[in-house]
Formats: sequence, structure tokens, C-alpha cells
Amino acid sequence: MQFEWTEEQDAFRHKIRDFLHANLPDDWETFSEHGPASPALTAFAREFCVKLADAGILFPHWPVEMGGEGLGPWEQQILAEEMWIAGEPRGGQYMNVNWIGPTLEKYGTDEQKKRYLEPITKGQSLWCQGFSEPDAGSDLASLRTRAELKDGNYVINGQKIWTSYAGLADTCFLLTRTSDDRKRGITIILVPMDTPGITVRQIPSLIGEGDIHEVFFDDVTVPESARFGDEGQAWEIVGYSLRNERLGIPRFTLARAALDRAVQMLKAAGDFDGDYVKIEAARCAALCEAAGTANYAVVQRRVDGLAIGAESSSARYATVMAERAVCEFVIEFLPEALAGASPYLKMHHQRGIVAGVAAGSAEIQLNIIASEVLELPREPR
Amino acid sequence: MQLSLNEDQTQVLDFIDSLAKPYATVPMHDVSLALESAELDEALVENGFLDVMAVEELGPVMAALVIEKLARLPFAVEAAASAMVRPLIDPELPRPLCLMEEGKARKPLRFLRPGATVVVVGPSGVKSFITTEDMIAPAQEDTLYGYPVAFLTSQPDSMTSHDVDVAEITRAWRVAMAAEAAGLLGAALASTVTYVSERKQFGRPLATFQGMRHRLAEDQVMTNTAYWMAMRAAGTGSQADAAMALHHAQEAAKRVCYDYHQFLGGMGMTLEHPLHLWTYRLKLLTAELGGRGAQGLAAAEALWG
Repeated sequence: MQFEWTEEQDAFRHKIRDFLHANLPDDWETFSEHGPASPALTAFAREFCVKLADAGILFPHWPVEMGGEGLGPWEQQILAEEMWIAGEPRGGQYMNVNWIGPTLEKYGTDEQKKRYLEPITKGQSLWCQGFSEPDAGSDLASLRTRAELKDGNYVINGQKIWTSYAGLADTCFLLTRTSDDRKRGITIILVPMDTPGITVRQIPSLIGEGDIHEVFFDDVTVPESARFGDEGQAWEIVGYSLRNERLGIPRFTLARAALDRAVQMLKAAGDFDGDYVKIEAARCAALCEAAGTANYAVVQRRVDGLAIGAESSSARYATVMAERAVCEFVIEFLPEALAGASPYLKMHHQRGIVAGVAAGSAEIQLNIIASEVLELPREPR
Repeated sequence: MQLSLNEDQTQVLDFIDSLAKPYATVPMHDVSLALESAELDEALVENGFLDVMAVEELGPVMAALVIEKLARLPFAVEAAASAMVRPLIDPELPRPLCLMEEGKARKPLRFLRPGATVVVVGPSGVKSFITTEDMIAPAQEDTLYGYPVAFLTSQPDSMTSHDVDVAEITRAWRVAMAAEAAGLLGAALASTVTYVSERKQFGRPLATFQGMRHRLAEDQVMTNTAYWMAMRAAGTGSQADAAMALHHAQEAAKRVCYDYHQFLGGMGMTLEHPLHLWTYRLKLLTAELGGRGAQGLAAAEALWG
């Protein structure tokens, strides 16, 4: 057990920082206020990810056989941390390299890999996750969007909601119901978003432009070859993907950076002298660092080749605690930050407040911890 | 970054496990508020487990791991100060070691007894003296803290001054307490989980009620992170990490002790169950080094000046 980065890991981090310094515009912090799913940031990311690819830091953690450099989980972590501290200039494309690419590689057909992996590696594709539905949020397994196989095509009808990036995405990683057998009746279909019958409506939100949508599927028809994995295999595949996704966003690093920024602003205003504000700031810092250590413990499991189990839920919940604390600290001591005084802190707030809701709610994480980490007897259903 | 235990660490922890096996459960019919074993203490000393920090290939993380492991036992062991702080002051100081903040003699001192070394840490430096019977007043017999505690009634005019950095000793003290608290948190959680998984009310185990499951899961998150922060603070030697680790452990202690006594109901109030040995030790550790507020101020100073 040792807690220092190796020289190579430090060098990798500096390479990313140097790249960001050289390639982000001077007005980046103000620009990033548009939000990660906004048209402006999506367009920016299409150019920025090409530069990342050219510099070899778009997907260096992918295995060599996928075109990556085979760098390890720690390098993936470092890459994700630096991008999030910078406000995620990859926009929605972070998902591509974190979990969509590896999931395609693990479960996709040759045709699907050929079709979808190359645009990801060129920084040119944007995906959305068609998971939640109006009546299937935390209870995702109750989803009802139906896909019926007719004459070699799937015909899809239903509605998704809270779908990030749907407005500009090329492809939807869509969960559909192909039988009534609850979890075993769910099937993934990869649906091009320009398929006739898809209607996307943006829902105004607190978390930035273009982030949340409802998506309607009316007799949307795609070939059977668009099915991802077997019929009924979605729950297994999504479990694999979400365990990656929960760690994929190192939110604690942005929360920690936002806290530092808030403290600097308070000091500049002469408002960081009292004991209470210092103790509260330190409490927030400790929660951010706590989340970091829990996340790192899970990364170590990846390094050791162990399954990422429910420990990722524990790390995720620690992150939610940190995000909540920092968001509340900023509003309590620097209310002006969210009213124009700090685009960076507003950006953090908008991304931080979804920590307990996205990728499986905090309460679902607690259920998983109770059952799978503490191994408590299960609740009766 | 390498967060798995290495071979040496695994081996030392396995040795401790086998050595401490006779002390892993509470003796039948023992209704003590505190529980100690001179034999266990002697075995730990004889086998060098409290001196691991000075061994080059083991170091402070190993010391923190040893402290954490021993704190899980129902038997209280004076390991934290001896294993983490004593090597930085004088490895020959007689044990047990009682760490005291300068000017805070009003507080009960853990493990204080004739022959113990009291180390006074404060603005005027780091000083120590060996206690004699006339300097000590016992705490009331049924004190609740789960540790043997006593009061220091007087201090000698002349103490041994140690040429060490007060800030560095305070840092190590924080790490030692964070590691001890992490072990107590782990043991208290495990004990509670066992109880609520077996105890049935309304026809089913208590642990099947979501109101309890969610709180226990949150307690797991705090306990897990308290462990990792203590280990990291031991590894990095950073002032900020040490202060944050103890702050977080004290915060966790404050929260979980309440939960666990609630969940054990009547059993958590009686001495038939050993829960109090961990929770009331934790409660006393929340007062260590000025408590959360002092740790917060120390962390803020280290982080932001």
C-alpha cells in the first residue's frame, strides 16, 4: 500500500495539463457555462476531441487491440480527473471513451464495432443513453418502451425521459422491452437518432442548456442487426457499463477544485478569517478527499483484475456527500457565485447537483451497499 | 499508487490475527465497562508489532494498519501512541504512552497508570515524564469510555525535553488516532450488522427494514473512507491529510455511535453485548486533540494558509 503517483503517472498528468493549457481558449471558463450538452460545447468538443486523438490522449487507456496504448486504470483515472477539473471539454464524448467503447468491444458484433468504434476514436460521435422513462426511474427494470421483432426488423414504440445529450446525439444506447420477464425481458438496441419516428423535446433544467430531454419513439424501425447483445441480456450489460460509468466521472476532483476556488474568493474578499467558515471548508475538503480515497480503492480493484462490485456504489455515495457539501458551502458563503460572480463555481454547481440523481440515484446505491457490501438480508418484495 | 496490501503487510496482519485470536471475543460473563489484557500487550511487544514503523520496509502505513487491526479487538490496547508517535520521540520511552495536550490536564487520559509515560505536546515543545502513583487520580469506577482512563493531578517540575518538531508529533498523533478510530468504526459496524441480521421483529430480521439499511449503508461509506483516509495520511505524511483524516473519523464516530445504539435497542444498553467497547472508545476519541473543530482549523491552515 503506497499513496504516491509514479514518475510516469505524474508525467502523464502534466502532459494532459499542458495540453489543456495550450488548447483551451482564454475564455473557456465563461464558455463552459453553456453546459456539457449545449450546442456550443458539443461543437467545441468535436474539434477538441480530434486534437486529443491526435495527441494520443483521447483513449490511451483502451487496450492496444482497440487502438489504445494499453495504459492502465490509474491513467484512465488521471485523464478523467484532469478533464473534469477543467470543466469536461470533451462534452458528452467522455462517455464514449469511458464506457461505450469498452462495452462495444466486449459485447458488440463485428459489424457494430466497425460502425461505431472508429467515429469514437476520431472524436466524431455523440451518444445518448435511452434508459429512464416517465414510470421507470430508479425502478429501471419496469421500463415499457417496447421493441417487437417483425420481418427482420425491430419496431420500437415508447418514451424515454431525462435523456442527456439526446438533442445532438448520433446514436442512442436504448433499453427496450422485448418480453414481460422484467429484468430478463430487456434488450439493448443501438438506434441512429435520425431514424424516422424519433421525436426529441428538450426539457428546461437547472443544469445547463440542452442537457435533459424526453424522447418519443413512434414505430421506429431498425434492422435486427441493431440489437446489442442477446435479447434479454441488457441487465447484465448495463450493470457492466454503469459500474464503469459510476467511476467514470471523478466528480470529487471538480468539487475539490471548486472548493479551492471558493476559498480563494473568500480570502480575496476578507471573509475567510472566522473559525466557522474555515471548519466548514475543511469539512468539505475532507469529504472530497474521502470520496477520492473510496474511488481509488475501486480503481485498485480494476488494476488487480478484480470485478468492480458494489464498492463502486460506496465510492459513488461518498462522492454524492462531497458534491452536496461543496454546493451548499458555496451558496452559504458565496451566494454571488451562482449569480454571475464565478462561472466556474456555477458550472460546478450545475454538474454537482445531479451527483445523487444520475447513473442510479443515491438511494439505489445505498440499497446496493446494504445488500452487497454489508450483505444484509434482503428486503421482502 | 498501489492500494493493495503488499506481502509484508499481509504477513504482519496475519500474524496479528493469529496472535490476537484468543482476544477476539469478549470472555463469557465479563461485564467490564473496559477490557484490557496484560498478556496480549506483552505478546504484541515481544513480537515487535508496536515497533514496525522503524523497520524500513514496513514504515508508517504498516504502523497504521497494525493500529487499525488492534482497535478492532474488544480488548483495549495502547498501540496508537506507541506504534506511531513514540518512534518519532524516543523509541525507548516506557509504555504505556499517554499523549496529552499542554494545558489540558483536566481531560481523562487513556491508559494512565503508575509507570506510564505522559508526553505533553504544546506550544512550549514536546516533554515527557514517567508517572508515579501520587500524580494520578482514578476516574470514577463506572466511567463509560471503554478504555482504562485516569486523571493527572500533578506534573513534575522537571520533565524531559525532546528535540522534535511539535507540528510533526501532532501530525503523527492525528494519524494514530485516525487509524485507531478506523478500526473501532469497522468493528462496531461489523458487530451491528451481525446483530440486526439475526434479530427479528415484526416477523423478519431488523436489517430488512429500509430505514435501517440506508443508515447502515451510509455508515459503511463513512467507515470505509475513514479507513482509507487514515492509511493515506500515514503514507503521505502530509499535515493536511492527517488533519482531514482525524476530522473525518471524528465526524464518522459522532454519527455511527448514535445509529448503532439505536439499532441494538436494549442490547446496546446492556453489557451483555460488547458494542459499547467500540462506541464509547470512539466517543472518547471525538474529544482527542480538540475534536472536529480543531482538526478543521488545522486542515484549513495546512490547505489554504
